[in-house]
Formats: sequence, C-alpha cells, structure tokens
Amino acid sequence: MKVRKSYLLLASVTVWILLGRLLNGTHTLQIATYENTAFTTFVGERASDLRGNRTESPAFIYFFNPLRGVIDGFVQMIRNLIAVPAPNSLIPIIGWLGVVAIVAFAVYATSQWRTALLSVSLLLACGALGMWQFTMDSIAMTLAAVLLSLAIGIPLGIWAGLSDRVLKIFTPFLDLAQILPTLVYMAPIALVFMIGAASATIATMIYSIPIAIRITSHAIRNLNKAPVEAAESMGSTNMQKLSKVQIPMAKQMIVLGINQTVMAAVSFVVIAALIGAPGLGKPVIEALIIRNVGQGFVAGFAVVFLAILLDRSTSAAAKSQNSFIPATAKQIKTKRIILIVAGILTVVSVFLSRTMLWAAVWPKEITIAPQVAKVTNSATAWILDNLTIFTVGFKDLISYSILNPLETQLAASPWYVTVGMIVALAIIIGGTRVAILAFVLSMAIVLSGLWYEAMLTLTQTIVGCLLTMIVGLALGIWTGRSNRAQKALRPFLDAGQTLPAFVYLVPMLGLFGPTRFTAIATGIVYAIPVVVKIVSEGIRAVPHTLVEAATAAGSTARQIITKVQLPAAKKTILLATNQGLIYVLAVVVIGGFVGAGGLGYLVIAGNSKPELQGKGLIAGAAILLLGVIFDRIMQAGARRSS
Amino acid sequence: MKSLFGRRSAIVTAAIATALVLSGCGSSVNDSASEGSGDCGSYAIAMHAWGGYTASAQVIADVARQELGCTITQTTLEEGPVTYDAMEAGTIDLIIEDWGGGRWQEWADRGAVVEAGENGNIGIIGMYVAPWMVEKYPDITDAKNLNKYAAMFKTADSGGKGAWFEGPTGYTTIGEKMVSANKLNFKVIFSGSEAALVDGFLKAEENKTPFIGYAWQPWTLHSKLPTLEAARVKFPANDWSDPAEASGLSDYPSTPLQKLMSKKLNDANDPFTSLVKNFSWTNADQNGVAADLESGMTAEEAASKWIAANAATVAAWVGK
Repeated sequence: MKVRKSYLLLASVTVWILLGRLLNGTHTLQIATYENTAFTTFVGERASDLRGNRTESPAFIYFFNPLRGVIDGFVQMIRNLIAVPAPNSLIPIIGWLGVVAIVAFAVYATSQWRTALLSVSLLLACGALGMWQFTMDSIAMTLAAVLLSLAIGIPLGIWAGLSDRVLKIFTPFLDLAQILPTLVYMAPIALVFMIGAASATIATMIYSIPIAIRITSHAIRNLNKAPVEAAESMGSTNMQKLSKVQIPMAKQMIVLGINQTVMAAVSFVVIAALIGAPGLGKPVIEALIIRNVGQGFVAGFAVVFLAILLDRSTSAAAKSQNSFIPATAKQIKTKRIILIVAGILTVVSVFLSRTMLWAAVWPKEITIAPQVAKVTNSATAWILDNLTIFTVGFKDLISYSILNPLETQLAASPWYVTVGMIVALAIIIGGTRVAILAFVLSMAIVLSGLWYEAMLTLTQTIVGCLLTMIVGLALGIWTGRSNRAQKALRPFLDAGQTLPAFVYLVPMLGLFGPTRFTAIATGIVYAIPVVVKIVSEGIRAVPHTLVEAATAAGSTARQIITKVQLPAAKKTILLATNQGLIYVLAVVVIGGFVGAGGLGYLVIAGNSKPELQGKGLIAGAAILLLGVIFDRIMQAGARRSS
Repeated sequence: MKSLFGRRSAIVTAAIATALVLSGCGSSVNDSASEGSGDCGSYAIAMHAWGGYTASAQVIADVARQELGCTITQTTLEEGPVTYDAMEAGTIDLIIEDWGGGRWQEWADRGAVVEAGENGNIGIIGMYVAPWMVEKYPDITDAKNLNKYAAMFKTADSGGKGAWFEGPTGYTTIGEKMVSANKLNFKVIFSGSEAALVDGFLKAEENKTPFIGYAWQPWTLHSKLPTLEAARVKFPANDWSDPAEASGLSDYPSTPLQKLMSKKLNDANDPFTSLVKNFSWTNADQNGVAADLESGMTAEEAASKWIAANAATVAAWVGK
C-alpha cells in the first residue's frame, strides 16, 4: 500500500510535468496588474457602496458604528491611563514610575520576586530604548484586546467544553482562524470599522479569541472525571457543577489559556499598525519604509521585551497556583509583610508619577536607542558589505534551480493541468473528501480570476517551506536528541517567534534585493522556530525503549535517526511541515512590500488604490483558500499516517 | 496555600484600588500643565511614511503647536483610501501631500474630504536608470533605445527579459502599459516599497550594475545620487488628461501635490484651517528637511532647524 502510494505520487507528478511542458504558456489566466475581472470589479463596486453606506445604512448606524465607538472608547480609556495624555492634561493618568511600580507589585504578588525583577528590567529597557510611549500604547492595545477576547472566549470555551455539538460547530471556524494570514483580514475589517484602534483591536481579537476558546474547552474536557461525577451524584445542578467543580479545577489550564491569548495579541502588535493601531508597530513599519534598519531593530527589540515580559509574568502566575508544598506560617507572614510594604511603595510611586514630571514622563536623557541603532546599523552594513556576494549567489542558485522551474510548472501550465495535479495530490495523500474540497476551492480561485497570481504565491510558499524543513528538521533532530542543544537554541527560537517579521524584512532586502527570494527568506526565518520546536517534541516523544533497543542492536546514531526516530515521529513531522507551510504563507505575502509580487502585492495594492480594491479583497480570500487547501491535505495525510 | 492566595489577592486589590483612587483625585501635574489654549482645536495629521511627507507633516505640525497652540496628534497610516476613510470617520484631519490625481473623488463627492489647494511641491515621476549608465551608454535615456540594452537588465527574477522595477504600491504606476505600448523587452517587477527602490538604485550605483526603476521628485534619494535626474528615461510626449486611461506610450506627467482636509477641519475655520490653506513650500525646502531626516536627525530636530531658518515663511503661513 505504502509503495503503491509513492508510485502513484511519482506517476502523477511525471504526468503533470509532461503536460505542463507540452501546453506551456496556454490558459495561464494571467492578467495585467491594473486589469480587473468581472468578478473583482463587482467586489470593488460593492466595497465602494459599503463605504458610501457607512453614514446611511441601518447596519452601520445601529450596529457597526456604535460597536466601533464602544471599542474605541475602551481602548482610549486604557491608553489615557498609561500611554497618552488624559483629556485636558499633558501626561497620562499614571506616569512611568507608577506603571513600573504597579507591574512589579502585581507580578510579585502573583508569582515571585525574580519574575518581578525581570519584568521591571524589561519595562525599563523599553523605556531606555526610547520607546516608552509606544510600549505603553502597545500594552494598552494588547490589554484591551485580551480583556475583550477573554470576555468572549472563556464563556464560549466553557460552552464548547460542555457540549459536543457546540464544539463541532466551532471547530471549522477555530481551524480557519489559525490558518488565516493576518494580512488578509485587515482590509475587510478596516472597510467596515475604518482605520484606527477599534479595527486593530477587532483584528487582534479575531486572532486571539479562537485560542482562548480552544484552550478553555480543552481544559474543561480533560478534567478528572471523578470529582465531576461525585458532584453529579450528590445532586448538584449543572450550574453548581460548573461553578464549584469544573471551573475551579480547570483554573490553571485557563490561566495558561490567558497566557496564550496574550501572546497571540502581542504577535499582532506590529502588523496592526498597518490599520492604524497605536504602539510599537508604528516605528517598525516606518523603519521599513524609510529603510532604517537600526530604528527597526530598536523598536523590534522593544516588541521582543514586551512579549517576554507578558509571557513570563502570565505564565509565572499560572505556575504559582500549582505549588503543592504548603507555605509555612512564617513564610505566609513574611510574604504578607513584604506585600504590604510593596503595596505602600506602589501607591507612593503612582502618586509621584502624577505629581512629579520626572516620574510622569520618561526622561529623554536616559536612552540607549542611538547606541543600539548604531550597533545594528553597522552590523547590518558589515553583513551587507561582506556577505552580499554569497547571499546574491545563493539567491540566484535557488532562483534558477528551484524557483524558476517550479514557477514555470505551476504558473505557466494551463490552469486545468495544475488544478488536476492538486486534486490528484489530495486524493493520494488525503482521500476523496479532501480531494473534493481541494477541487472546489481551487476552482473558486480560478473563477476569481487570480489563478496566475495565486500560483506565484504558491511557488514561493512551497520553496520557502522546503528550505524551512531542511533547516528545521536538522535543528529539530539536534535539539530533540540533546538537552544542551535545546537549552542553547531555546532563547533564539523564542526571540525568533516574537520578533516581528517586518523587522528583518529590511535587512533581508539588503541581502537579497527586491526579489521573490527576499520574501521567501523572511518566511523561512519566521517559520523555522515553530518547525524546530514541533520536530524536537516529536523526536523526544519517541519511546525510549525503541531507541534503547536500536542502540543495543549496535545501530549508529545516524541509523537511529533515520530508521527509528524519524519514522516514529512521522506524524509530528508532517504536522510540522503543515505549520511551516502556513507560517511561510503568512509571511511570503508580506513580501509584496519587497518585490515578491503575487497575491500579497495585490492585497497591499488594493489597500491603496481604489480601482484595485476589489482585486485586493479577492486576493486576500485567495490566500486563505490556498492555505485551507494545503492545510486540509496535510492534516488528512498526518491523520492517515498515524 | 489557599488562604495565602486569598489574603494576597485582597491586599493586591486594596493596593491597586488605592492607587486608582489616588490617580483619580490628588493634585497633579496634569491639571496645572494643560496647554493648547486659544481658539485652535485639536487635530490629527496623517503621517504617510515616505521621507518627503514626513518632512512636510512634521513642519506643519510643529508650526501649529508652537505658533498657534494647537493640539496635534500624528497618526501613521497608509496613504489612499485608508486615510480618506479615516478622514470620513473623523480620526484624521489632514493629508499634507497627496499624489493621487483625484483618487479621493468618491470621498470628496460625499463631502468627507475637502481639497485645500496645492502644497507647492511638484511631483515628478519617471523611469530612471542607475546614474553611472548614462555616462557609459549616453543614448540609454531615450526609451527607443531601451530594447538594445534589455539583456543587460536580466536578473534571476525577470524571466529572461530585462527587470523593470516598478514603483511602490499606492503610487501612480503605468509600467505594464509603458512596457507593452512601447514593445519593450522588459518584465515589470513590483518593488512594493520605497525601501526596495532605494536599495536597488544605491546598490546598482555602487556596484556599477544595470538597474532601471521608478523614481520621483521630491525624494531624498536625489541627495544621495545627485546625478539621478539626468538618468531619467525619456518617453514620447504626454497626454495625461485621464491617468487611468493613459496609453502607456507616454511618460508620467508632473503633478502638483495636493493638500486634503477633513470636513471637520474645513468647517472649523480656525487658525489651523488657515495655516493648512496657506502652507506652501518648494521641492528644495522639502528635500532639505528630508535629507536631514535621512542623515539621522529626528523629525522634530529637522523640522525645527528649517522653521528657525525660515521664520518669514512661517510668519506668512500663520498670518502674523
């Protein structure tokens, strides 16, 4: 069966290549960038109507506009508290000293002094980078989005945790939200809610609510059955069971869900600036546009610090509830005294930050931003001066050997040949149901008129995913087999996951120029950490007995990897490939900013050119469809392989 | 453990509550320090992220703050529809430089966006080769000769043709039409951002590699490549009555850049409204401030340097 499958794959690829060669350049559905199809024109006109209706249509007057007003007001309230001058004043309600004190106190109270110290240092570092106000804006935006996400996500998650039917209804949406590249839904949201904090908050929530729902329902579902049954047998009502047993038991897992929700919201900080979010995204995007690598990194570091701060403080809170060693009376007493003292200090700091200018506004003199910018600028300059020869050579090698042939095969073949190939692939890997889905979605892209552009994007995604997997597998196997390697790589992986892709888009541009490969390289850097983590977990999950048996039988390390660990971790590796593909896709489309063309360029162009608006919206939808097609095929493949 | 946590959260709550109460009352610098007196309101200026725009916007923002006492916020966002929408929503009041030949019409018809006249800068757009090429191949600046050199411009991404680097998204571009109407053996590559073009031109000039790309005036790149203007490729004469219908045979026209304001700002008719209407400066002014920005000055520093050196112009703008 397995042999037959790979033969089938080989055969269909051969047929595909032959047909592609034979019919090269016919029915490619290529249209000029400025041209619209009947469908994109139609969508563009509807979008314009929507704009015109914003002041008249009841849906806007009674629903969207008030909703925008409420969310805007909520965000503004939090911003006034810590970030921007409150009404009729020059400073926010709580100045920097007050914020630092409150964070220190809150973190210390919920976990331990070490985490509190770390949080304070990170916060001060953001200030020293000259990013205090931007950081506070980002915290305010994150806070607003997280609070709203949890307010919606936790109840829905509990509901989905209690009812199988609800979970079944939610699941496709939850899956979809995880595939959805962020660039895609910003335009539709901005169309309805207009540019600004409200749109940015809603866009962030679309990303973070599914995570809150998923983890909460998971927490409720995986509870120890005994106490729940005990409560039932004692005649508790459902409400009592939920509030007295299930939620308290699931509390720690739910706090972990809060942590994940916060992280999802933070990862949105930069890209949300494209639709007017205040905060750290602003300097990052400016740096891209004026090509200031140093400034980009200064702001990028602040994003990373903020992410670490929020991650450590929320995950520490989750851990501290899990301590099984009861505190002694003395410990409790000491802690309480320290807390009272710290509380008084906090109150004093807040008071100072409202009365003293030095404690209210971050002192401009305390800054390391110029130094950091200078160091990163000169490091980048050195790299550009000395490595460009290699990077350009590497870029050309990949372009001529993989990228161009694959692009010819995918984009220059007739559309029906490529659609046929995708469907054949889906049948062989995932089965009939997936194949039908793949066919329908591919045809939707064809009918939208953006098939050619979609194939350009697909080419870049596949090449990016391929390179990601080569590096990711190597590093994943290494970290999976060695604790020391994992420890050494962990900080880089964490930073890589939080550093916004926009930050290194500019240096990549310097290394590879305005080309498709710049987009691919950026996608690779973005996707590698997650692939490494998944692969490494997969390798670690391989039962020790298997490895030991192989070692006892005298296998070499290489044999153990190729004959034991990799086959045993096959499913995880397939899932890692899927994640890699989705991550690369999400970033490759940002490559529209740096000459990569394809669907991403159309999305960006649609934002700024009214006549291409419809095309941009459809391009966004096409990116999503591409993501869904490949996600479904891979998921089905992974399921079958287990 | 349970009791510790319970007590602890009580203390936390109490402390935070006290902090909040304190921040609610208490005499603070807030109340004493409020500025922005007079009859100028509070407005938001759109900050589009290209160097020239930043220069103009920072100067008018600082003049408004210092001379008129307005409260000005500066919001970074993308040009075009996104910003017109924001003006309609009331979150943006001013675009100080719009290149987009009437693309705001739909919004102007609804009264959401009001034209506030030209800002004095003249936008010039064109296709430029890397300046070193002009010396070596003097006839390259005539579009008719481009095909002769097309093979030189080949890259890994241009599918066997010359690579033609088109302007950033949102800018007026007709590259595809120019290529097909003039039967040029080039492939249009959408650079997507200003950074990509700057990078392309600078690297080409430094390494003496061939490059043809979209460029414009006023633009800070000209301060780095002083001979760039001479490297403009000339296309047959213009007919640009309708940009959307331009045949592509012709070159880009010169565009007087526009100021656009929100209905709110227009209706307010306060000192800031008249400052906006009066604001006008030359390409040289803008390039100077933008060059300072590029060389590492902050926007505020660069703007105050210009304001200090041009007191008379500023006085004329604010009508003093």
